[in-house]
Amino acid sequence: MGPEDLEKVLRLLPLDDLGREILVGLDTPDDAAVYMLDEETALVHTLDFFTPIVDDPYDFGRIAAANALSDVYAMGGIPLSAMNIVCFPCSLGMEILARILEGGLAAIRGAGAVLLGGHTVEDAEPKYGLAVTGRVHPDRVLTCQGAEEGDLLVLTKPLGTGVLATALKGDFLTEEEMGEAVEGMASLNDRASRAAVLAGAHACTDVTGFGLAGHLLNMLSGNGLGCEIEVSRLPLYPRAREMAEMGMVPAGAYKNRDFLSPMVEIHSDVDDVSRDIVFDPQTSGGLLLAMPEKALGVFAREMGGECFWAPIGRFTANAAGRVRVLP
Amino acid sequence: MRELVDARGLACPTPVVRTREALKGGAAEIEVLVDNPTARDNVCRFAASQGCRSEVFEEEGMFRIAITRGEEEADAASSPETSARTVVVLSADVMGRGDEGLGKILIKAFLNTLAESDPPPWRVVLFNRGVLLAVDGGEGVEALSNLERMGVEVLVCGTCLDYFKAKERVAVGTVSNMYDILTTMLSATNSVTI
Repeated sequence: MGPEDLEKVLRLLPLDDLGREILVGLDTPDDAAVYMLDEETALVHTLDFFTPIVDDPYDFGRIAAANALSDVYAMGGIPLSAMNIVCFPCSLGMEILARILEGGLAAIRGAGAVLLGGHTVEDAEPKYGLAVTGRVHPDRVLTCQGAEEGDLLVLTKPLGTGVLATALKGDFLTEEEMGEAVEGMASLNDRASRAAVLAGAHACTDVTGFGLAGHLLNMLSGNGLGCEIEVSRLPLYPRAREMAEMGMVPAGAYKNRDFLSPMVEIHSDVDDVSRDIVFDPQTSGGLLLAMPEKALGVFAREMGGECFWAPIGRFTANAAGRVRVLP
Repeated sequence: MRELVDARGLACPTPVVRTREALKGGAAEIEVLVDNPTARDNVCRFAASQGCRSEVFEEEGMFRIAITRGEEEADAASSPETSARTVVVLSADVMGRGDEGLGKILIKAFLNTLAESDPPPWRVVLFNRGVLLAVDGGEGVEALSNLERMGVEVLVCGTCLDYFKAKERVAVGTVSNMYDILTTMLSATNSVTI
């Protein structure tokens, strides 16, 4: 669902007062809930599932599982166990479902977690994802809030998966041609999360359905800061720009734009495609981190040479609660 | 010949797909009907990417988009695959023969200028000592990263990286093989070798 509809519904829920053991609950726009067991251990709970974004069932499984696991990483946690969530039309054939689950299992194992079970519902359109439980030290929970003035904004995967998935649907692109994006979506945010924790990042979230702008705005809620991003620094998956130029912009990007644009100032020299990319809904996107410049050295070392990351902007004391998009 | 594409009630990317089919079918003028701003913007953008002009008329509950093909594009632009594919091939980590120090300065300047070129190349291929431009501390890392961000694919020869024992230090680009490199060079409409 788009951010506008979701906010309307959540407003109607009568929420309980949170006990002190709830470190992160429904009151903040975070990726997962955190429940403290004792002074040393807190559990991270999250779930996510969606319809196929690519045609290959194994890749779809890997991507959906990596996407669900990412919410634990975004809290600075480590996944412990996972349960499958499956909606599936039996007419499609069980081999396809088996391939989806194999892909999911590969991602769960890659995360060092175990698959404990799951639940299946017959449905007209396939959907797959996970409910994940993770662990984090109560003093080292990363939330989307906590950025400080002058912090750098760092992104750990390129953007453009919404555009590329739309192009795939429209036959403007084959799955092989978007191979780098498929691998990107299927890759875990494990290393980025660990590097963020070790480097002492101030805040963290992951980029998914609300796009870069939507998730960045979550990082600004309540801390009196603004953020400037430079579109020339925005990393894109191969072919994403070309596909956006050909009109392969998903409806979700426009929904995000319509809802978020009062809080997003776009410089007049920013081109149309970059503007759309800022709102493009991402599947299994990268972590979005706020960290002081001096932490960058440790972060870079922990990420090593082969992991992607890019500084894309900076948190500012002016323009509180707003994202400024510069050329 | 004017063709009507009624894409009302259809979700993206279907309106663009239908418009493309009509263009591929050879229609010189197309009228597309859509019922939401997303589809309107995407169809107009697609038309522009194919060298066509489009004009939007807002009517009750829908948008009528009149698309006209430019004269010269009528034959050539029937498919997006015909757009220029410039490949830049870097087979060394210096530019030109002679002084190596100068060669390094030149190659850096070349890549920085390439990263600002409009339109950017389709792909950049690095082989032999060229791959050293893309490893940690290489002269080309920054410019190649910028190119990648612009959507340019940077292919780095895997065999060459192995040869220089530099596979662990690749900082930018996709580690690639001879098949991909050959296919890239063969499908280029235009190639520049340094």
